[in-house]
Amino acid sequence: MTPKLKKSLLYWLLLSPLCVVILLPFGIMFVTALRPRDELFVYPPTWTFSEFRWENFAEMWVKTNFGGALLNSLYVSLTSTIIAIVLSIPAAYALSRYRFSGKGLYRNFLLMTQMMSPIVLVLGLFRLMVHLNLVNSLNSLVVTYVAFNMAFTIWMLQSYFNTIPRELEEASWIDGATSFTSLVKIFLPLAVPAMVVTAIFTFINSWNEFVLALTLIRSQNDYTLPVQIFSQVAGRYQVEWHHVMAATVLATVPVAIVFSWLQRYLIRGMALGAVK
Amino acid sequence: MKSRTRIPTTPLLMILPSFLLAMSIIGYPILDLAWTSMQEVSRFGKMMGFVGLVNFAEVFRDPLFYSSLVRTVIWTVAVVGGTLIISLPIAIMLNDDFYGRGLARVIVMLPWAISLTMTAVLWRWSLNGRAGLINATLMDFHIITEPIEWLATAPLAFTVEILVGILVSIPFTTTIFLGGLSSLPQDSYEAAVVDGAKPWELFRYITLPLMKPFINIAIVLNVIYVFNSLPIIWVMTEGGPANGTDILVTYLYKLAFRFGQLGKASAISLIMFSVLFVFTIAYVLMVMRQEHDSADEEVKHDA
Repeated sequence: MTPKLKKSLLYWLLLSPLCVVILLPFGIMFVTALRPRDELFVYPPTWTFSEFRWENFAEMWVKTNFGGALLNSLYVSLTSTIIAIVLSIPAAYALSRYRFSGKGLYRNFLLMTQMMSPIVLVLGLFRLMVHLNLVNSLNSLVVTYVAFNMAFTIWMLQSYFNTIPRELEEASWIDGATSFTSLVKIFLPLAVPAMVVTAIFTFINSWNEFVLALTLIRSQNDYTLPVQIFSQVAGRYQVEWHHVMAATVLATVPVAIVFSWLQRYLIRGMALGAVK
Repeated sequence: MKSRTRIPTTPLLMILPSFLLAMSIIGYPILDLAWTSMQEVSRFGKMMGFVGLVNFAEVFRDPLFYSSLVRTVIWTVAVVGGTLIISLPIAIMLNDDFYGRGLARVIVMLPWAISLTMTAVLWRWSLNGRAGLINATLMDFHIITEPIEWLATAPLAFTVEILVGILVSIPFTTTIFLGGLSSLPQDSYEAAVVDGAKPWELFRYITLPLMKPFINIAIVLNVIYVFNSLPIIWVMTEGGPANGTDILVTYLYKLAFRFGQLGKASAISLIMFSVLFVFTIAYVLMVMRQEHDSADEEVKHDA
């Protein structure tokens, strides 16, 4: 046996308990989403079931108003991502390219806002949204998600902007371009990959957020997906678990695939300066 | 505008929108909480007048506050400690070259991709006492003979919640460690191997000391995140049974949005904010020190 093969077997053996614990609930999610309703509560509990009931998904879609919650989640996540990126680009550019007084202070301010969690401020935020007449409006979530994500987006963008050579812009200044045209024509096209990656992570953050959505949205029609699924579970005498699991499959699998595909960029961005 | 003043104001104008938004959405609620915490507040959010520190006194007389506080400390220490102990060896393995490493990375990072709410919903169903498939699996392997009601008693439910908390904190922590490991100088390892050091000695005397800054950052960031984490406990048990799994955030949430005790809830928010603030300052200082160190290194390299 080659040393590498031996090592691989050892590593997989050591990693396997964790992998099992991570994957087990997903397995349970799939077999529950697909089994007939009357096979949910059998004794003794068992993994096997009589037939694959794909109709569960269609039933769930109608019964839990999945489509409505999906649209709400898409609206909130897309809008807040776009606004966060648009506001972050100039700030990240300033941090990456200019020396100015207060720069260090601003960076520390960003770090501190990143640490503020919505839950500690949730009561104050709720009262703020009452004053602004935004409670029960999806836009209250858009505004707060932008604010809470901005430290992350500025930090990520700045660390990528730092890797774009300054000489390219300087060359275009010598050719007579103003700093604004060099920003738009030279710099931003080079920064597109960084912006896309940062935008996707912001989108996932907003997509997954729970506390603020639970608090600021009061009417069932405006629930986002996490709150909608939670409301199918919490405080109910009878939970339709096969529907809940079908909804969870649809709400998590696409995001998990995108995240798994892009995670190396997150690791790279953090290595470039988000954590260090 | 004169060109003389244009240069310093441009970057300030560029950071202004983000600064204003953060101040109004994150800064203002803090002031509002401070103000509310010193008011008598009716159930419907109406201010009934200034009462000074009465709300704080009430919080400090409340036995549920103390039990939630103790549980918060247990929750934070257990989740952060468990996460660190598991994540470091995992990061070391994932940093090494072996067959199937890409797949292993995807699996280990998976909990990060799923919202905490969904993870908690999945576990709540998996651990269901009557029909949960965790019981089915344990019975299939003859580890238990009877189904266990995992979430029906507080101590067991809280233990399970801590384990789920560890599981969802591993990806982020492993990522920090992977970043640290990739920056370690390879030459000191080679020198030690030439001197005949064993793998354990390499870990103990080279990896661990060099990883210390990353371990510190992982501790502080995880403390901040875990201390504030509502979804796992809220979705799995809502702090129950009988407040037996309440930590400060779930207790705070109940006071504010179920019992309408806004003054008291603001006081607890403010207390939590101060704890958070101390840890945040610690984090900012660490980041600044590390940047300072790496700047020093650059100077050394230049010399």
